[in-house]
Amino acid sequence: MKSVLLDPTGELAATTTVAPSPRPPSLDGKVVGLLDISKARGNVFLDRIEEHLVGRGVTVRRFAKPTFTKVAPIDLRHEITTQCDVVIEALAD
Amino acid sequence: MHDIVDLESRGLPSVMIASSEFVDAARVQAAALGADPARVFVAHPIQDRTDEELVALADGAFEEIVRNLTAE
Amino acid sequence: MAELPDGLVAIVKRDCPTCNLVAPVLATLAADSVPLTVYSQDDPTFPDGVRVVDDRNLQMSFALDLDTVPTLLCVSGGREVARTVGWSRDAWRDITGRADLGETLPEHRPGCGSRTQDPAIAEAHAVATLLPKLHSRRVELGEEEDDAEACFERGWSDGLPVVPPTPARVARMLTGTTRAPDEVVAVVPPDLVECTVEKVAINAVMAGCRPEYLPVVLASVEAACTDEFNMHGLLATTWFSGPLVVVNGPIARAVGMNSGVNAMGQGNRANAAIGRALQLVVRNVGGGRPGEIDRSTLGQPGKYTFCFAEDEAGSPWEPLHVERGFAKSASTVTLFAAEGPRGIIDQLSRTPESLARSFAACLRATTHPKLVLAFDAMLVVSPEHARVFRDAGWTKARLHEELGSLLQIDGSEIVHGAGGIAEGLPEAFAGSTLPKFRDGGLLIVHAGGGAGLFSAIIGGWASGSLGSEAVTVGVGT
Repeated sequence: MKSVLLDPTGELAATTTVAPSPRPPSLDGKVVGLLDISKARGNVFLDRIEEHLVGRGVTVRRFAKPTFTKVAPIDLRHEITTQCDVVIEALAD
Repeated sequence: MHDIVDLESRGLPSVMIASSEFVDAARVQAAALGADPARVFVAHPIQDRTDEELVALADGAFEEIVRNLTAE
Repeated sequence: MAELPDGLVAIVKRDCPTCNLVAPVLATLAADSVPLTVYSQDDPTFPDGVRVVDDRNLQMSFALDLDTVPTLLCVSGGREVARTVGWSRDAWRDITGRADLGETLPEHRPGCGSRTQDPAIAEAHAVATLLPKLHSRRVELGEEEDDAEACFERGWSDGLPVVPPTPARVARMLTGTTRAPDEVVAVVPPDLVECTVEKVAINAVMAGCRPEYLPVVLASVEAACTDEFNMHGLLATTWFSGPLVVVNGPIARAVGMNSGVNAMGQGNRANAAIGRALQLVVRNVGGGRPGEIDRSTLGQPGKYTFCFAEDEAGSPWEPLHVERGFAKSASTVTLFAAEGPRGIIDQLSRTPESLARSFAACLRATTHPKLVLAFDAMLVVSPEHARVFRDAGWTKARLHEELGSLLQIDGSEIVHGAGGIAEGLPEAFAGSTLPKFRDGGLLIVHAGGGAGLFSAIIGGWASGSLGSEAVTVGVGT
């Protein structure tokens, strides 16, 4: 049963979903995390994305979930958050 | 998708890449989580693709991925 | 709502000795030519032998605003023309026109409470009536969303958990006021949104208020959003201040506020929730958030909540609201742009002169010992310190006067470079004498526990057209 709450705001914003984080103007100087969900073949895809990013002079860090069947462990999420500025997660199918 | 929503809530701009089979499921899951995370879709299938085909998928998706991580 | 049938109308409940007493009378009337309609609040088979309308949903009872059963009405043309409550032989004979009614009954017997007066039932009815009047956008949570987390994730929280504002909780909160939910309370900066009673109620729910606190919160929002108080400026400043709510009058005790031990601290629900509700309105309705318009360099913990009641009963002086022109019996809130409190120790002064000098020495240092006039302050005198003034017969005015003359500052001490400190006033003031506070810039209140020879200074913010003026507003219903 979905809960319903009343909006406490001035309702100036169009929707009330969880707001996305502000984006940087570009990836220059940023550390990009690549999170592999560990389904087969995803690493090939991410390798190529890494090549593109490195080619642009962007720093890349690679991470992998222990299994795609569960949410990423909290330690992994902390690691990613402290080491990276943005993150790409792939590849769900 | 839970991972991406969680990482966004920690202040990290995030984007998830999924195969086109996932479009509807992603929409439903987003609604269930009360979020609307950035997502980029690539053409299904994935599992039986050759390396060259996966590289091509990555090439095709790269600009869109960057757009989802940066402000206009 | 069902129309009132013409003729005689009686509302009864089985669980009422007087209703049972009059049951035979009703049976007699039922056999008459004048139509009789009997509504039963708890059992449609009561009274026996009479055709009864089931009013267990209390729709007719609420519509008739009953407080007693039995109630007998005479209705003509769909309108009530006469009513009597309980059993009174004379009144019933009068209304029915039957001179022989209830011959064997006692002359009168009082009735019982109508079920509509049962507190739980009355509240449920109020909530049900209010629910359709709630116009705020409905936010449907995801199936997997925890409702407490959802409030955090949507940015509605001040960092601490909030009570998720379900429609039922908000409707219940609105029973605490007689004002309509869509009435506009104030225009809230910085987004300059019209804030309705309903929006205040939603944030009051989140803050943890009880419905009875709502009138105090409404008055606080109203006061905070006046031009004089300048909530917008207060938000945008890099200075520490946030709104402090000081409550005066009977409402403070009525809702259980704390004016004594730890009055400015944690632990009292009313103090905590009223101050917090105001902050949440500013954040959520007004859009005033840290890192956005709120640019305070360091902030202070009172920006979560800062609200206490003045201890009027124990005070040697007139309370703040009386000083500011309200009747003692009035309930008010006074908004003040407040830093966090700092303590004053004086455990040795036995004379008012000495204690006033302690106060003055400490007041001198608000913002900076070399800065004068620009900022206001509030002095909170504790009971043990107040006793010194009471025993000497000093009025509040006398204390104000003494502090005023003690806080005349020699310009040469406070100009740039004086004392080796660059901060201060332009050198042109070197030959002047200046008061630390502008006229009316120092407020004095009385609060605190009975033990402790400590008082407090709550620094304010800039006064004048760019700053904030303390504002006192009456608490309504």
